Amino acid sequence: MTTASTLTDRYVAEAVRSLTRGQRRDIEAELRASIADAIEDRLGAGTDAAAAEREVLTELGPPRSLAASYSDKPTHLIGPDLFSDYVRVLAVLLSTAVPLWFVFSGVVTFVAGSSPLDSLWSALWGSLETAMSLVFAVTLVFAIIERTPALRSRRTAKWDPHSLPVVPDQRGYVSELVGGVVFLVVIASVIIVLQSVGAVDGPAGTPIGPFDASLWESGVFSVALFYSAVSISFHVFAHYTGWSVANAVATIALDVLFVVPAVWIVAGDRLLNADYFAAIGWPNGVQVVGLIALAVVVLFPLLDTVDTIARTVRTRRVRPTADVTG
Amino acid sequence: MLKDEELATHRQELRRGTVVLACLMLLEKSNYGYALLTALDSSGFAVDANTLYPLLRRLEKQGLVQSEWNTDESRPRKFYATSPEGRQLAATLRGDWDELAAAITALTEEP
Repeated sequence: MTTASTLTDRYVAEAVRSLTRGQRRDIEAELRASIADAIEDRLGAGTDAAAAEREVLTELGPPRSLAASYSDKPTHLIGPDLFSDYVRVLAVLLSTAVPLWFVFSGVVTFVAGSSPLDSLWSALWGSLETAMSLVFAVTLVFAIIERTPALRSRRTAKWDPHSLPVVPDQRGYVSELVGGVVFLVVIASVIIVLQSVGAVDGPAGTPIGPFDASLWESGVFSVALFYSAVSISFHVFAHYTGWSVANAVATIALDVLFVVPAVWIVAGDRLLNADYFAAIGWPNGVQVVGLIALAVVVLFPLLDTVDTIARTVRTRRVRPTADVTG
Repeated sequence: MLKDEELATHRQELRRGTVVLACLMLLEKSNYGYALLTALDSSGFAVDANTLYPLLRRLEKQGLVQSEWNTDESRPRKFYATSPEGRQLAATLRGDWDELAAAITALTEEP
């Protein structure tokens, strides 16, 4: 420890360190004066200098806590207003996605030729990873809502008796969320199963799956999976912050972000492997499945866009009545 | 029997708002942090320094007190004084306090 700085210097430095520059100088000056006043008072009562300083600083408590009460920033990650929602969303996602992922990844690894024990391990690890990613993503979304007062006030403003119909809507929302996650896991698993377990011998004698090999290796499917996770997180976010115009625009932007490359891949015959369909004796399959895939990648985002607009319009229609009564 | 901790929490909750009212009333005459702390203490409002100093900042931010640095003495100090808005709030809070006191008294007098 340097002898040049007194305990008071060290205390004040620690207390103002996390404050904004605008607050720092004024609070530091006032804090120094207050500490000096308190020490002086004790000296007058007969305490020796070192003991007086120690007592005064001890009474002020940990400098970090003092700093936290000066800056009005929350000292918690997720506060009581959001906590029950946070737990609920987490419970719903964990109780659906993790077991599903466990079963599917276990089955896929086993069918692909691993021993039962290896499959079990891989399923366990996969579930653990899924659980941790989910917890991280949900926590992040809620922590952001907690720290964005504009978002939070919009949400609390919704809670007046007139918004009671929100309750069945909430329940519908949870089942929608479960549905979305289950659908995503099923689609991802089916794609993986088809490509790995469903592979047949191609013309060159190597096993080929229904999806274009270069596309498969390019990591496009991982990107798509990541995109879906982002999209689901965003839907949770938008639900808890209200379907504002900004959220609606962002949702539609996300949809467009998906549609454009997806249509480019599917309509440009870049998704499917024609050799595979020839090898299984259904040469027309490449056109039929391609059309279905095209319909899916266009219809889903389109429906989501329509749904988003409908929600936003509904929210905007509800809000003025709430204002009148509030 | 209540645990000491629980008892302390209940008493603290009951007192919490009174510190603001006492500050606004005492700061009718402008004063600085440590002097206000001792004044509160001697008037029977036990409050910790680490509660009072941030509280003064919050009251200032809300426009309930005004502050001014006084550099006349060897040690510059930040002086606070109740603003007109603060005076208004103090009047409202005193009204509430009287009503509450009357209501509690009425409870004890009921047969």
